[in-house]
Amino acid sequence: MREPIPTHDPSLPRRHADFENVLDALEYAAKGIRGFNFYSARGELECPLTFTEMCERAQEIGRRLVGFGATKGERVALIAETSDDFVCYFLGCQYAGLLPVPLPLPTSFGGRDGYTQQLHQQMKSCGASYAFSASQMLPLLDEAAEGLKMNFIGTADMFEAQTADVALDAIVLERPQSDDIAYLQYSSGSTRFPHGVAVSHKSLMANCYGISYDGVHTTDDDRCVSWLPFYHDMGLVGCFLACLTSQVTTDFLRTEDFARRPLLWLKLISENRGTISYSPTFGYEICTRRFKPSDIADLDLSSWRVAGIGGDMIRAEVLRSFYDAFKDAGFTEKTFVPSYGLAETTLAVSFTPPQQGFETELVDERVLSGEIKELNGEIQDGVNYREVINCGIPLPQYDVEIWDENGNPLGERKIGRVCVKGPSVMVGYYNDDEATKACLNDGWLDTGDMGYISNGAIYIIGRLKDLIIINGRNHWPQDIEWAVEQLPELRSGDSAAISIPGDNNEEVPAILVQCRIRDEKSRAELASRIRDMVQSLVGSSSKVVLLPPRTLPRTSSGKLSRTKARQQYLAGKLVS
Amino acid sequence: MTQSQEEIFNTVATLVGNFNTRGIEINKETKFTADLDLDSLAVMDLLAEIEDHFDITVPLNILPDLENVGQVADAVAKIVNE
Repeated sequence: MREPIPTHDPSLPRRHADFENVLDALEYAAKGIRGFNFYSARGELECPLTFTEMCERAQEIGRRLVGFGATKGERVALIAETSDDFVCYFLGCQYAGLLPVPLPLPTSFGGRDGYTQQLHQQMKSCGASYAFSASQMLPLLDEAAEGLKMNFIGTADMFEAQTADVALDAIVLERPQSDDIAYLQYSSGSTRFPHGVAVSHKSLMANCYGISYDGVHTTDDDRCVSWLPFYHDMGLVGCFLACLTSQVTTDFLRTEDFARRPLLWLKLISENRGTISYSPTFGYEICTRRFKPSDIADLDLSSWRVAGIGGDMIRAEVLRSFYDAFKDAGFTEKTFVPSYGLAETTLAVSFTPPQQGFETELVDERVLSGEIKELNGEIQDGVNYREVINCGIPLPQYDVEIWDENGNPLGERKIGRVCVKGPSVMVGYYNDDEATKACLNDGWLDTGDMGYISNGAIYIIGRLKDLIIINGRNHWPQDIEWAVEQLPELRSGDSAAISIPGDNNEEVPAILVQCRIRDEKSRAELASRIRDMVQSLVGSSSKVVLLPPRTLPRTSSGKLSRTKARQQYLAGKLVS
Repeated sequence: MTQSQEEIFNTVATLVGNFNTRGIEINKETKFTADLDLDSLAVMDLLAEIEDHFDITVPLNILPDLENVGQVADAVAKIVNE
């Protein structure tokens, strides 16, 4: 059996992403012996890939792409399997001066059309002219690319066979400048109107430095373990690029394998003495859900130093249950490192200091529903509170301010929009000036999140931009509303999709629908069809509320105001 | 050993039964989300049980085509008898 690539490398001094571009970083890492290990669905080592091998292969792919006729700046869609091929093609694009665009994989049963349409819209929006996937995904990719003008659609093997005659040695490779765009990221944006975040080499390096040096304080003993998908910023930047640019050996488990057998993640940390691993809250939740006391004997999680959490609203009770389940396996509460970030800042904005553990503040529910805008000091009787997590202090490279509706900065413990400024803020949304201007002004990015600052630390209480996140997947209300309004009984503008807190503080999708039908039986039947439809879209059950006509709140320009609809609903003002 | 479609469907239906919190009747047309009310995480729990039971791996690319119990049973039968 092959040995996994080791954690330590005394021959190569650690550098924390202090490079001009990702290729300089790759070529430095290639001088050492570290690299990435890819594991199978049963947790067996399938493919070790040293940074040296990665570098050689990426150069070869770069030459093939240039030899094939790809020209600087063209977009290359990569269906983001957790594999050596993905990593090498992502970097091969850099050598050819192309922009890789990681695209999602299917995550659950059903939804074929929705999935292929999503890929289609994403490739269309960035004008991709190349698309790569593993062979099993090819039929879906072909279907998604229908109607698009593409120079190549296929697998790595097909591409390498087609370019077998290219005189590789004769080809001159590109060298990216630090202001050049390195890749496009599609983790934000609605399915029907996607927009890709354009990240430059400079932003990428700045954020990788922030993550590695200021965030997790990477040391020579660190080893990362990841099941996060490469089509998400936390997987792509946090685990692939931050580890590559700081020469950290990393063990990868495919996301779909984690979803089926989540304890493989912990087993891998235990066996390989992993020290750094991130997950959104739901990853900790499913481990706790699938855990059996008999699992503990095989696990030793004492090496785990940074259990990063981010990507969705962090829920304290999930972290406590995880700790309770795994404390006997050597997991300590101080290991949790809540963080805050978003694709529009490349990835990270803030981290709590390692070994601090998670801290919470109690926030009046009326603050969360938007009824009041300021935190009251003392805990009072008769008021409902929710725990909100301390997401840490901003990285030194970041300025963070809380703004009111008019863009005026607010003081500590005042609720407003979280706005950030720093070197890893995106260049903009690719080919979408309008969407860029809506959130980016004078270097300040309006994150769309609501929150406050307390003792210098960021607390996120909700999202202004209406996103609904269910089990780690982002859903745009526009997409849900559009689907619901295709029902013959409804008209455009009749629905509002919002996220409401469930019994355990989790997000539950709620659909508020203006309904003109009076007959009770027909109403119940309509509600049930809406529920089914939403369920097939988001993969979770929803609350459907039928409202009288003309009750959904509008802005002065007549557009639906989901924020107001949510406030009114939570305050009990919107009822059938 | 070749297993009949019928046997495989019955086994899959039994495994699905553990996730049948609504207590509905399970047939080939039973849908995972609409009828059984399973969220995407529960679906993956179920898939892991099916894979472990039959000692197979259901490839990712066919998941988008699986909406009901009958389709899963057919997919399993195809993999098992290959």
